[in-house]
Amino acid sequence: MNMVLEVSGLTKQYDGFRAVDGLTFSLAEHTATALIGPNGSGKTTTLSMLAGLLRQSSGSIRFSGTGKDPRSAIGFLPQYPNFFPWMTATEYMELAAGLSGMGGRDVRSECEKTLGFVGLGDAGKKRIGGFSGGMKQRLGLAQAIIHRPALLLLDEPVSALDPAGRREVMEMLKELGESTTILYSTHILNDAEEMTDQLLFLRGGKLIEKGPLREVREKHGGSGYRVLFSGQEAAERFADAVPWAASADGSAVMISGETVTMEELLRFASEHPAGITDIGRTAVRLEEIFMKVVGKP
Amino acid sequence: MSFTEQLAEIPWGLIWPLIVIQLILMTAALIDLNRKRSTNGPVILWVFIIIFINTLGPVLYFTVGRRHS
Amino acid sequence: MSQFSLFLGKEWREQARSFKLVWVPLVFIFFGVLEPLTYHFLPQILDSVGNLPEGSDFTLPEMTGADVYASLTGQYQTIGLLVLVLAFMGSLSGERKSGTGTLLYVRPISYAAYYMSKWTAAVLLAVVSLWLGYGMAATYIVQLYDHVPAFSDMVLFLLVLAVWIGFVVTLTLTASSALPTGGAAGAALGILFIGMMIDSLVGTYWTWSPWKLQAYGLAFLTGSPDSGDLAGALVMTAVLAALLVLFGILQARRNAAKAKV
Repeated sequence: MNMVLEVSGLTKQYDGFRAVDGLTFSLAEHTATALIGPNGSGKTTTLSMLAGLLRQSSGSIRFSGTGKDPRSAIGFLPQYPNFFPWMTATEYMELAAGLSGMGGRDVRSECEKTLGFVGLGDAGKKRIGGFSGGMKQRLGLAQAIIHRPALLLLDEPVSALDPAGRREVMEMLKELGESTTILYSTHILNDAEEMTDQLLFLRGGKLIEKGPLREVREKHGGSGYRVLFSGQEAAERFADAVPWAASADGSAVMISGETVTMEELLRFASEHPAGITDIGRTAVRLEEIFMKVVGKP
Repeated sequence: MSFTEQLAEIPWGLIWPLIVIQLILMTAALIDLNRKRSTNGPVILWVFIIIFINTLGPVLYFTVGRRHS
Repeated sequence: MSQFSLFLGKEWREQARSFKLVWVPLVFIFFGVLEPLTYHFLPQILDSVGNLPEGSDFTLPEMTGADVYASLTGQYQTIGLLVLVLAFMGSLSGERKSGTGTLLYVRPISYAAYYMSKWTAAVLLAVVSLWLGYGMAATYIVQLYDHVPAFSDMVLFLLVLAVWIGFVVTLTLTASSALPTGGAAGAALGILFIGMMIDSLVGTYWTWSPWKLQAYGLAFLTGSPDSGDLAGALVMTAVLAALLVLFGILQARRNAAKAKV
């Protein structure tokens, strides 16, 4: 797998405390990675260092396949993007495109297209000073993707939006994710659950858990099957009988999803149907993992 | 000397540029204030400063009155 | 398009839309009108204020055209400099504080182009404003006063003062690059006025200084300055300004990390 970014031992030391402490991870091409952590866990500091705004105290950041200035391969969207209020959206986009090295006659149409993509097609001639928070967030996304960066860094890209806007922007990000590598921070776990190939859990500046969503899930309760029974006795009897890893919990039996397929489980259940009222899949929710991993003091 | 005589005494031919400058500054400051509506201190206070303090009022608004955000 | 011209276009638009392009020249023009008028009508003004004791008789000194230019220059040395420092104190620091700079700094920009575009726009506006002010004063002075300086002397005078104003603006921009807005204004004004004080104390011995430029410029209106001293002061100012520009560019790059994210 082609790595777009390799980070090793990334640390940011301020007077008296470490905002970011020894992060090591890498981002594969065209994957989406969610940076998850409570407020103050170092998400923004990490993204700022990757974007080249802050210099790390130690550790290395390696971009592959970029020229001498990695900033031309990065698109960055801060949590609260700030624009020149006296500029129009189109003017801003043209400035952003030009500064990223785009030139020629296509720039204008490229800017229009990008504004259209983020749903600001009609607002190009309006001054940004009159934009709502949601419109600014969209313009922020537009300026981050105008130069077709290999890596998109997004700080809480949807947390300031209303549910409808959030849905819409998530769809945009998924579309972008097909051709771009995305690293985004969020504290909204439903979003992370929806678009992620890799999870990075931060707490107190440290990376305390990382891996693909499926692996993290397996590790923290995993996904599997839940068979419900009419009573506790029936449940225990079933748990003893199954040849797979299983545990009875009251009138329910949990079976690990790694060891058995749904088909095998159904065949076994049809041979031992006593007391069964329901069979279903379970997946541990990211929120529960978050509480387990990050929430403990 | 009557008031009208005093008025006639004033060399309008020489001082009209001062009046025009004051009017332009005032108009520009009020347009800008209306567009931004965010100032250091109450907006209405700045409206008065711009209108009633000759020349200096609009300049004060442009230099320290506007909140840059 | 080069980054410099992109940035310059942005600075130009910003100056136009924030009305800076209107109010800065107008302040200079205002004093350019007011100063010759005040001296010309001073007897009438004193008369109408009317608190002179009855029968008191004193003669006001006769002002020549050159005197009025000197007095106007005095105004520009205080209020003019104050206005310029206040107008440009936030040029770089403001973009860090508001966070508008953040989205520029994450792009592959040249900080030299970034600083120099601001420098070009600010120096142009300041110098043109100054010249408009003196130009407006000239239209009054030729009508109202005797002993008007020759046109060629005026041109030399205006060129020397333009160098001084360029130095003032450079200092302000570099202060804004190195410090937050308030500190930048304080530092720029402090250095300018302390320099003036030092000049008034030991100016006779320190002839190659930027603070001497306005005196040398004014000397063109009544005679001509010592050409060696003038050349020395011009070179010294140019060297200091170049160092300030260099320092300003480095500070702009270093302080990008302080931009609000």
